Amino acid sequence: MISVDVLGPLLPAVPFACALVGLLLPLRARRPAAVLAVGGAAVALLIGIALALRFRQPFGTSVELVDFGGLPVTFGVRVDWAAVYVALAVGVVALAVQAYSVSYLADDDRYVPYAAQVSLFTAAMLLVVVSGDLIVLLVGWEVMGICSYLLIGHDRTLPEAPGAAVKAFLVTRVGDVGFLLGIALLGIEAGSFRIADVLGAIATGDLSGVVVTTAGLLLLAGVAGKSAQFPLHTWLPDAMAGPTPISALIHAATMVAAGIYVVTRLMPVFAGTPLTVLGVMAAITMLLGALAATAQDDIKRVLAWSTVSQLAYMAGALAVGAVAPALFHLLTHAAFKALLFLGAGSVIHAVGSNLMSRMGGLRRGMPVTFWSMTIGLGALMGLPPLAGFWSKDAILASTEGHLLYASGLATVVVTAWYATRLWLRTFFGAPRSDAAAHPHEAPPLMSVPVALLAVPSALLGFAAFLSGFGDRLVMPLPAEWVGEYSGTAAGGPAVVREAVELVHVGPALAWPLLCLAAGSLGAWLVWRRDRAADPARVLGPVRPVFANAFYLDAVQDALVIRPALGFARAVRRADESIVDGAVEGTGRGTLSLGGVLAAAHRSGLPRAATAVLAGALLIGLAAAALGGLA
Amino acid sequence: MIDHVALLPAYLAAGTAILVFLADILVGRRGAVLSCGALGALATAAVAAWLGTRADRSTFCVDGAGCSYVVDDTAALLAVLFALLTLGVLAFSAGVLREGELPSGEYCFLLACSMTGGVVLAHAGDLITLIVALETLTLPLYVLVGLRRRVLESAEGAVTFFIVSVVATAVTLLGAALLYAATGAVHFDRLAAALDAAPGGGPTGRLIAASVVLVIAGLAFKVAAVPFHAWAPAAYDGAPVPVAAYLSTASKLGGVVAILYVTVDALQPRLDVAGPALAVLALLTMTVGNLVALRQRRMVRLLAWSSVAQAGYILAPLGALTVASGRADIGLAVTATVAYTVFYVLMELAAFGAVVALRPADADGGVIADYRGAARRSPWIAGAFVLALVGLAGLPPGLAGLFAKVAIVRSLLGGGAGWLAVAVALNAVIGLAYYVRVAAQLFAPAPAAETRARVHWAAAAALAVATVVAVVIGFAPQLVLDVAAS
Amino acid sequence: MMLVALLAVPALGAVLVALLPARLDRPARALGTVVAAAAFAVSVALGLDRGPLLPAAGQALTPWQQYKVSWVPGLNLDFHLGVDGISYPLVVLTTLLTLLCCVYSMWTVPGDGARGRLLVALLLVIEVGILGTFLALDLVLFFVFFEVVLLPMYAVIAGWGGEDRRRAARKFVLYTLFGSVLLLVGVFVVVSAAGTADLVTLSATGGGGMARATQLAAFILFAVAFAVKSPLWPLHTWLPDAHTEAPTVGSVILAGVLLKMGTYGLIRVAIGVAPEGAVAVAPVLGVLAVAAILVGSLVCLAQSELKRLIAYSSVGHMGFVLLGIATLSTVGLQAALIGNIAHGIITGLLFFLAGAIKDRTHTGLLAELGGLRETAPGLAGVLGFAAIASLGLPGLAGFWGEAFAVVASLQRGGTLWTVLGVLAAVGGALTAAYFMRLLRRVTHGPAAPAVATTAAPRLSTYELVSWAPLVVLALAVGLLPALVLGLSADPVTALLAEVSP
Repeated sequence: MISVDVLGPLLPAVPFACALVGLLLPLRARRPAAVLAVGGAAVALLIGIALALRFRQPFGTSVELVDFGGLPVTFGVRVDWAAVYVALAVGVVALAVQAYSVSYLADDDRYVPYAAQVSLFTAAMLLVVVSGDLIVLLVGWEVMGICSYLLIGHDRTLPEAPGAAVKAFLVTRVGDVGFLLGIALLGIEAGSFRIADVLGAIATGDLSGVVVTTAGLLLLAGVAGKSAQFPLHTWLPDAMAGPTPISALIHAATMVAAGIYVVTRLMPVFAGTPLTVLGVMAAITMLLGALAATAQDDIKRVLAWSTVSQLAYMAGALAVGAVAPALFHLLTHAAFKALLFLGAGSVIHAVGSNLMSRMGGLRRGMPVTFWSMTIGLGALMGLPPLAGFWSKDAILASTEGHLLYASGLATVVVTAWYATRLWLRTFFGAPRSDAAAHPHEAPPLMSVPVALLAVPSALLGFAAFLSGFGDRLVMPLPAEWVGEYSGTAAGGPAVVREAVELVHVGPALAWPLLCLAAGSLGAWLVWRRDRAADPARVLGPVRPVFANAFYLDAVQDALVIRPALGFARAVRRADESIVDGAVEGTGRGTLSLGGVLAAAHRSGLPRAATAVLAGALLIGLAAAALGGLA
Repeated sequence: MIDHVALLPAYLAAGTAILVFLADILVGRRGAVLSCGALGALATAAVAAWLGTRADRSTFCVDGAGCSYVVDDTAALLAVLFALLTLGVLAFSAGVLREGELPSGEYCFLLACSMTGGVVLAHAGDLITLIVALETLTLPLYVLVGLRRRVLESAEGAVTFFIVSVVATAVTLLGAALLYAATGAVHFDRLAAALDAAPGGGPTGRLIAASVVLVIAGLAFKVAAVPFHAWAPAAYDGAPVPVAAYLSTASKLGGVVAILYVTVDALQPRLDVAGPALAVLALLTMTVGNLVALRQRRMVRLLAWSSVAQAGYILAPLGALTVASGRADIGLAVTATVAYTVFYVLMELAAFGAVVALRPADADGGVIADYRGAARRSPWIAGAFVLALVGLAGLPPGLAGLFAKVAIVRSLLGGGAGWLAVAVALNAVIGLAYYVRVAAQLFAPAPAAETRARVHWAAAAALAVATVVAVVIGFAPQLVLDVAAS
Repeated sequence: MMLVALLAVPALGAVLVALLPARLDRPARALGTVVAAAAFAVSVALGLDRGPLLPAAGQALTPWQQYKVSWVPGLNLDFHLGVDGISYPLVVLTTLLTLLCCVYSMWTVPGDGARGRLLVALLLVIEVGILGTFLALDLVLFFVFFEVVLLPMYAVIAGWGGEDRRRAARKFVLYTLFGSVLLLVGVFVVVSAAGTADLVTLSATGGGGMARATQLAAFILFAVAFAVKSPLWPLHTWLPDAHTEAPTVGSVILAGVLLKMGTYGLIRVAIGVAPEGAVAVAPVLGVLAVAAILVGSLVCLAQSELKRLIAYSSVGHMGFVLLGIATLSTVGLQAALIGNIAHGIITGLLFFLAGAIKDRTHTGLLAELGGLRETAPGLAGVLGFAAIASLGLPGLAGFWGEAFAVVASLQRGGTLWTVLGVLAAVGGALTAAYFMRLLRRVTHGPAAPAVATTAAPRLSTYELVSWAPLVVLALAVGLLPALVLGLSADPVTALLAEVSP
């Protein structure tokens, strides 16, 4: 039996190995690739389970990777309960996605690299989850970015896919400039990149408040990029260009979750101003995402925008220092969002279109999908007793008396509205296309994972009742971890005290439920008046505004992309005409000077003779002058 | 009491001339004439070298005034060089002479006379001897340049050469005369002593300064230093290629030797005047030479201008002598100059040899475009040519040239003339521009399949020897440096 | 002794290969490859017996092995070779890349393949020059080897290059000669001031006790010389032309190791010999380096030709390296060293790929390329990998140099260096941007006509053989940077001890 502290590093190592092998496989080796991919994910999940079973107390290992002269870079692994839970979530979703993909990409000739890239993606996320070192964390962080790029760009039939892929990578990369600088700052000031050392230095006050705040703000840029928070959220909806399983992977457990997770890991760094900023971003993003979701016709875009606003919930919780609810929601969200995307995938697979205007009445044809997605949507809008209800309630409870509480409730209304709309438009009413008229249930390899995911989506919420679940999610760093670290730093125990109780049964519970009822009832009423038409019509004039997410893409394009490209063209011209021009000019100048002199020498005897005498005179004078100086 | 042993090289050189003359009259066969000349040159070189290994000796001494004819290591080295260069040029000429357009007898006789001048010059110990020897070295060349019958350029080149030369000689003589007037001495040692004693300022001082400048200016003509270079391109291009080779090596060597002797031995006390004059000369020469060379289309003219530029490099270390104090720095500069000169004449000889070998025997240098595809036709000669050019440019694989440049820059920075060092460095860049152009032409695909010219075995042999020696001293430059240092 | 062998083997091999007659062209190339392999073996063996790893006290430069004989005392020139942790990785990189280029040339030579043996011979000569530069422990010897590479590389470009090769080659040779003549002047400024050209002595005494002014002058001369070679903006404009016209193997060697002579010289010679000058000039160097990063990436963002783009990306990457050097800190120098190696590996690979693409599609214009992954998935895959590695993805070789150049700059502190660090980080994002643009133009989308008619969509054996090592190294160095930096930590620390005692 392998010892626990080997399991930690093994968690990312296994999928990574599978990815490397998979990338080397020839394109036609579908079966081995599939075995490798599913097997890798399964093993990773098993390791996660083993960890959970044998977990006693947080532990870590750390080996020095390289010494940059007094600045050691270590490969550090740090496993605590939060890490184990998130790892489990990742493992489950990854396994589901891999299994699902086998049949979803049944007739895609580039399935082999695809599967390997998914494994790499999983490995990267797991690396982030278990890493105990900022640089290693950055590695996982960026590798995820590149994997998202590769996978979003996978679909060759979609003309917009490459653009979306580039956008996803670049927008997050812009945020990562801040992330890198933040990490660098912390590492330099703390003299080590080990998270434990950094937190320790903060606790003991070795790091000045200014430094910590600056670093926090810088890191926040990266977090906003990865977790799609305003204003760096624009990439996520476009990322729908990727195959549906990839959307599930990105939205549920990997990419976007990483941002939130990292904040929980480095909570003390963000204490103060950064959290305030995060709160503002969350408040905006929450509503922005939900409203944008109301007017989408593409089923996947609805879900994508819902992800944006759900992530904002987690960010909001973090903003008030409530780590446990945030992680709790992260887990439940992982479950039901994966379910929703995979379910949507089945629907799309059946209808052959992403557009809800071409769906309708699917509940008969595909019962499994229907019931699973019903649970998923219920969880999304927070219908008791489904998972989403408990986690969202925990968040709302922790934000009480805060601006975030208001926007949170408002978002509940909107969420309920668009979730109901999606539900009705997809599964009820008359079919709006031939394909929708005779839908067929997805093959078992697709429907089974969906159905299985329905279980946690429904029941995971009750984990909140387990004793100590909340504490585990915010396990304070034990003393042996960071030497002097006493646990009195901002964000430390304060968080714990707030978060111990995840369940708040009481009158306050009424508000979200009322909002929920209002939202979905509203949607239902509108829909009932004309079952064929889109409830979104009631939005009237603002509908296009929502549909285009407040035209933020256009703004981004006008403010960032065009100027950048224009500047680049200008620089190129300048470099070629001025810098290189100077060089070429020197060359030409020398040549022509030579020409002039050569011409001067095509002269007859008399002039040559005079030249000699004149020269003698000249030399004499020069010599006299120089000699005088010397 | 005259020391005839010391005079042996000079005797042999002169004897060669006479022998060639007689051979032409009595035997009248080209082969005989040529071999006489070659043997004579060889013998001269051998004896000069042998003398160099013996103790220094001197003759024509005026008690207390020093000697007019000195045999020491430097003199021996230079004498040998003169003789060998003549030998090499004779070898190159074999092809041209076979065509019979040039009169072999006169040709060889004149070359031998010129060699005599060189040998004597190498041993000169006073201004008079020096100037006479130098004229002896130059005079035959006027004729040699104009020797190509029915060729206008040839005559024109010769006339230019002659006129400008005469003017320059006049300038030198004037300077020498003034020096004599001011100091009453012609022997180098006496001159040095007198100049030391003479007042720096006052009418005498100014007179001396003027005369120093005049002497140097006049001598600068022989090395074709700007602005005394106008004759060079015309003369080189007009002359038969081997003669051009002789002009750019032996004749130039003569000029350098003259300047060295005068400045270092005689004018040392007045380096404050001589130094700047030479510095300005050097700067002008290398810059103008390189710039004009950029625009040359005819091969020989390009080589002519490049050799003008090279003269600039040669003079540069002496230019650093201004601030030189004490023998050490002067030694450094002299070593650099001599070493560079040796490297230079070698590579220049090889370059001209390659030109001779690549062209039909009766043709002139032609335009650079004529050399397209030479690398395909005759790879070995082209290789030698490239090596010579690259050496002149001062880059590996022409290690000899590289070390030559290194020596120059080193002496300049050692002598505290950093600005001149930078000038040399930048000029090296300009220089490479045209050397590389020629080299590239050799490898360019030939327009039409030309038949490769027949190469006379002597020319080929000489070229081979020159190249091999260049390579060897490229790897062991210390040999040259040691000799030069003595 | 092995040091001498390392130079002698390729030198003799080059002569041998060049002397073989034209009808034995292929065997000659094979012979050249064998020679290159032998040189590689020697270089690897060189690393096996290491003498003192820890620098002796007060010794800024402690070679594992050295070999010293007097060559030209008249010019202060000793034939003094030595290798230590700073130079060793570069030595191995050089021998490796030369080997790969020879392997590549065994199958394909541009133009009429008739003169392939000459190309191989020239590659070997260049190898000698580069190795000599990395091994030289004598200033004058360093200069000599520095110049050895000029003309062979000129010949490679002018002999086997593209349409406009003559102009590009002339520009390359004149521009870089301009750099190295200044190096010559600098060398003798030092030699005449310090009285010795021995690098060990000079760097041990922190500039041989030269006056500050002298050190400043020397450093500026060195800096310009090496900046031309590296190349550092704004002295870079020879590079794009040279790369665009050079044959594939030429570009690989040029970008892979030739540029490193500049950065290596800056570390070993400029900083080692004139530390005070370095301290004075460092800020200027840093500013220019960051300018190089930004200009390089912006130009790439607007670039329309494949090889030109990669060439300009080199400008940007070397900018990171030079920034690391400019910080004069251990972190910075370490970053510079690994950046050097990484750039050599990755850009070498990129140029191989660019060559392969141009050979197949007969165009380098991004506008005419596209959809490569449709017709040649393998090629597109490797290109994707190389591009991703080159944009500095953590976990691949490119990351360490760039990230830690930024770290070093921030660590240096102060407004200037902080701003420089931030700008460099932004440059990193721009780098990602233009490589993404490159991939989107070349690999994604429908297959462009030029690509659709691609001959040989699959990767041929020799391509796999010559690329695989680079791919593996890019990954290995990325995962285990200690491969490169393990040996250099102590020498770097010792070197910097002289900079700020």
